[in-house]
Amino acid sequence: MTPWVLVGVPALAALVGLAVRADDRVARFAAVAPGGFTLLVAVVGWAEADGSTLTEGPGLRAGALAVPLDLVLDPTRAALATVVVLVALAVQVYSTWYLATDDRYGQFAATVSLFTAAMLLVVLSADLVLTLVGWEVMGWCSYLLVGHWSRRPFARRAALKAFLVTRVADVGVVLAFVGLAAGATSTSIPDVVSAWVQPTDCIDAALGQGLYPSEAFAACSAPDGRLRAVLLVLLVVGVLGKSAQVPFQDWLADAMEGPTPASALIHAATMVAAGTVVLGSLYPALADSPTARWVLGVAVSVTMLFAALLAFAQSDLKRMLAWSTVSQVAVVLSAVAAAPPEAGPDAGLLHLFAHALFKSLLFLAIGWAALAAGDTAATALRGSAGAAPVLRSAFLVGFLSLAGVPLVVVGGLSKENVLAVSWDGAVGSDGPGVLVLVALVVTSAVTAAYSVRGYLVLTAHVRRAPSAAGVTAAVRAVLWTLAGLTVLGGLVVLTGAFTVEPMSPLWVLLSVLVIGVGVAVALRGGLDRDPAEVLARRLTPAADRGLGADLLYRRLVARPVLRLARVVAFVDTEVVDGYVRAAAVGTRAAGWAGDRLHRGERPSAGVGLVLAAVVLLGLAGVLAWS
Amino acid sequence: MVVSLLLALPAAAGLWLLTGARGLDVRPARRTALAAAVGTLVLAVAVVVADSAVDRPWLPELGVRWSFGVDGVSVPLVLLTAAVGVLVAGHAWVEVPAGGSPATFLGCLLLVEAGALATFTARDAVLFFVAFEVVLVPMWLLISRYGDGHDPRARTGAAQRFVLYTAVGSTVMLVGILLLVARAGTSDLVALAAARGSGLGGAGFAVALLLVVGLAVKVPVFPLHTWLPPAHTTAPTAGSVLLAAVLLKMGTYGLVRLPVSVTPDGVATLAPALAVAGTVGILWGGLVCLVERDLKRLVAYSSVAHMGFVVLALATGSETGLQAALYGNVAHGAVSALLFVLVGGLKQRWGSVDLAVRRPALRETSPRLGFLLLLGLAASLGLPGLAGFWGEWLALYAAWVPAGDRPRVVFVTCAVLAAVGAALAAAYALRVAGIVWAGDRPDPEAARTPDTTGPERWVLGVLAVAVVALGVAPMVLLTTTGDAVARIVGAR
Repeated sequence: MTPWVLVGVPALAALVGLAVRADDRVARFAAVAPGGFTLLVAVVGWAEADGSTLTEGPGLRAGALAVPLDLVLDPTRAALATVVVLVALAVQVYSTWYLATDDRYGQFAATVSLFTAAMLLVVLSADLVLTLVGWEVMGWCSYLLVGHWSRRPFARRAALKAFLVTRVADVGVVLAFVGLAAGATSTSIPDVVSAWVQPTDCIDAALGQGLYPSEAFAACSAPDGRLRAVLLVLLVVGVLGKSAQVPFQDWLADAMEGPTPASALIHAATMVAAGTVVLGSLYPALADSPTARWVLGVAVSVTMLFAALLAFAQSDLKRMLAWSTVSQVAVVLSAVAAAPPEAGPDAGLLHLFAHALFKSLLFLAIGWAALAAGDTAATALRGSAGAAPVLRSAFLVGFLSLAGVPLVVVGGLSKENVLAVSWDGAVGSDGPGVLVLVALVVTSAVTAAYSVRGYLVLTAHVRRAPSAAGVTAAVRAVLWTLAGLTVLGGLVVLTGAFTVEPMSPLWVLLSVLVIGVGVAVALRGGLDRDPAEVLARRLTPAADRGLGADLLYRRLVARPVLRLARVVAFVDTEVVDGYVRAAAVGTRAAGWAGDRLHRGERPSAGVGLVLAAVVLLGLAGVLAWS
Repeated sequence: MVVSLLLALPAAAGLWLLTGARGLDVRPARRTALAAAVGTLVLAVAVVVADSAVDRPWLPELGVRWSFGVDGVSVPLVLLTAAVGVLVAGHAWVEVPAGGSPATFLGCLLLVEAGALATFTARDAVLFFVAFEVVLVPMWLLISRYGDGHDPRARTGAAQRFVLYTAVGSTVMLVGILLLVARAGTSDLVALAAARGSGLGGAGFAVALLLVVGLAVKVPVFPLHTWLPPAHTTAPTAGSVLLAAVLLKMGTYGLVRLPVSVTPDGVATLAPALAVAGTVGILWGGLVCLVERDLKRLVAYSSVAHMGFVVLALATGSETGLQAALYGNVAHGAVSALLFVLVGGLKQRWGSVDLAVRRPALRETSPRLGFLLLLGLAASLGLPGLAGFWGEWLALYAAWVPAGDRPRVVFVTCAVLAAVGAALAAAYALRVAGIVWAGDRPDPEAARTPDTTGPERWVLGVLAVAVVALGVAPMVLLTTTGDAVARIVGAR
């Protein structure tokens, strides 16, 4: 029952929130109270979760296809659900202050509730259809949240872009789910996984008995490897879209046009994280398909480095955080791509957990700082952390975690784990381990560099500290809580929610070394100057434009499609409809001719009729004879 | 017995309004119409609950029987039609178009409803055809007399095109029905479906071809769709709603009831062509919607795309496919009715629904209307949790694993292209949302758009609830159609 409560309460909260949106005070209550209740349920569910328990759904049958609509709860999912609910609650509390004067606060809060419900559905789903429902609803909510300030043209465009880019990539998810479900004639994820994994033991046994490989595959009813690769690659494409990975990366930075709490939600615990959860739940099938893992590995390796470099050079610190999300989600996905099959996706999921905590902290803190400073540009935000002590601590902990400093904060612990499993993957299996490992090491250095940059800029000493007007105690509490959890969150490994191997101290040492290099590079201009100005001044304008990916989308996709649409619209009215109009013209002409014949002089008309009859008879004769 | 009443009530009320009470004032006329529509809905529920049927000789010389009844395939459509009947009658409180007496207008609405109900309950092929044709004339009146008053020529043209185009389709269908009845020796649809085309001999394919082509006009299937956009553009709001939510359904219902049930082998031969036509329709409609300027035409083209999914699902010949087709059919009824009431309301407020004209954002001036438009657009792009999703996703699934006698390659290709078409739907839905709802082309000078109030709000509210309910609880409809569908594909 717990999973349905977890999904249902925020969904109901959305409905209620929509109904009471006119009254801000009621809307606030309808947003925060269910969030608190859901958090309680999630924590209790996590504490009680023991092994994997399936909760039956309403279920439906469409012909041969079974759609059970089950949910599932296990410790890993419970931990992820808890962090989702926690971040969502933090966002709701924060929004009561941040959007206090917004005339559409009610709609915003209701959408956040719906968004949370959708993400929880993805996390807890044991059915491909439910996953798809949550997945798409999240996309729609992101359209509404990013476009919340729809009076601003940039916000409208960013919302459109966010939805369209992810929806185009979703074609892959839809087809992959259709194909995967078709292989199992069921959408239940356990059934789908068992239908698509390679029955390795069975095949080995059969080969051991001297069967030919083809016979062994048939005897063990092994799935069609090529089809599986195609389907999983399609799924990976969808995941790349939702998680803003190359080549779909450009929507996320633009999505910064949304209100900061929405960014915190989208970037930390939902939307971009959903892809990892889906891949995690289908992991056994993915582990058997090196093709899909290579596609994923290459895409995320390129993305993590590319996005980290862009993050470093951004002139706008909120966009810097956006690009760092792209990079960090790539790190998360890289663990799924490169881990050896027996290790499972847990290293990635752990980093996802960590990332949700520190990224929401950073976003909520920078939202406050930007409100105090008046803008999100690095020049404006300079020294804005001086507004409140909690901001200083939040940025310190957040950036330490982002940089992945070992053992101190949650981000460090999880990132070392990713490194460790990629190493295992690199030495042990046919996945893209080596590539991922190289990218990870270089990215770690760049990440450390931009973390230093962010911290230096935000906490620089300025003569007149900006004031934090009217911040409620609840917001301070939220930031302190998130900061505390960012420090202590690493203890989650003790609960056993994520299966991670004990790490060798070698990785800690390597991390320190790499981070040290990054920090040293960032500090070349001294403590008082913005490292991006020192090191990447010429890259900044291009980086702000995301290296022109937007132009590429327009040139390669939008414009050809619109051109085709114009051609189709023309053909529709002039050609497809042409025969209809021609029929009308023809009928009228025939009528006119008949009229003329009728009124014409009898002999000539008679001759005409006789001639026509002869021709017709002749034709009929020829046809009959042949 | 009840089923006869179900048909008689709207027909009698409609005829009375059309003849004896033609001069009736608008108030009593719409009260009468609403009472008749509500009565019809009650009777429809009673028919469904009691599983009422009637069967007696009608034209004994031809062996045609007066035979009406419902099964799993027709139950959702009967209820949909009766419910839409109530809504369009209630919509008369919002708008009664000029062009003639209000009583005639309402009488035509009721007659269309009666004809549609007869089509969905007929158990005799000839009776089906008669009922199918009954709706033509009142619909023609609705478009030609009560349509958009701005351009009389376009109105006449659209009405004539509607009648002639669909009448040509019906004629083809009639030839098919006559051939079918002559060969099989019975016009009883139940008996014909039970025989599954065994008594037709070599004519099976010809029958299937004639029936499919004839009915495809009504659906409409690409490339026979060009009557739909002008008809929708000029029809009054209530007429558009009936056209989209009821008349188009008659086409798909006919496809299920006649060719798919009666000549499964012939349909299997035609299936690849039908699937390709459906898929082209999906892409075609979606692409036209990306550049279409008139919002009403745009919604009409999106109907072509949605019916493409229905046709694709139908062509797969599998149980899942048939379920998907019936689901998509009903879902499209609810979604397009919502959109047409909305767009009709906008046209009433603005005078035209040209998207190129600068207007204030609905979100700012009329949030309720804006919210409902957003809901309708989300449903139209197939957002899960709303009506459109299940039909489309199941259609894709069905196309991925079509029935055994269908060429797999063709259908899988169609599934891939249809999935791309679903992305196109997102693009055009957001295009409309951007322009109309969010205000991509704002005009601060223009007058505020009045928000929806009173009866219009109720009509829209009911449709919105239906759209959400169909999306959240698909099992209700799927279990209703399940048994009948299994019988049709011969699984049970």
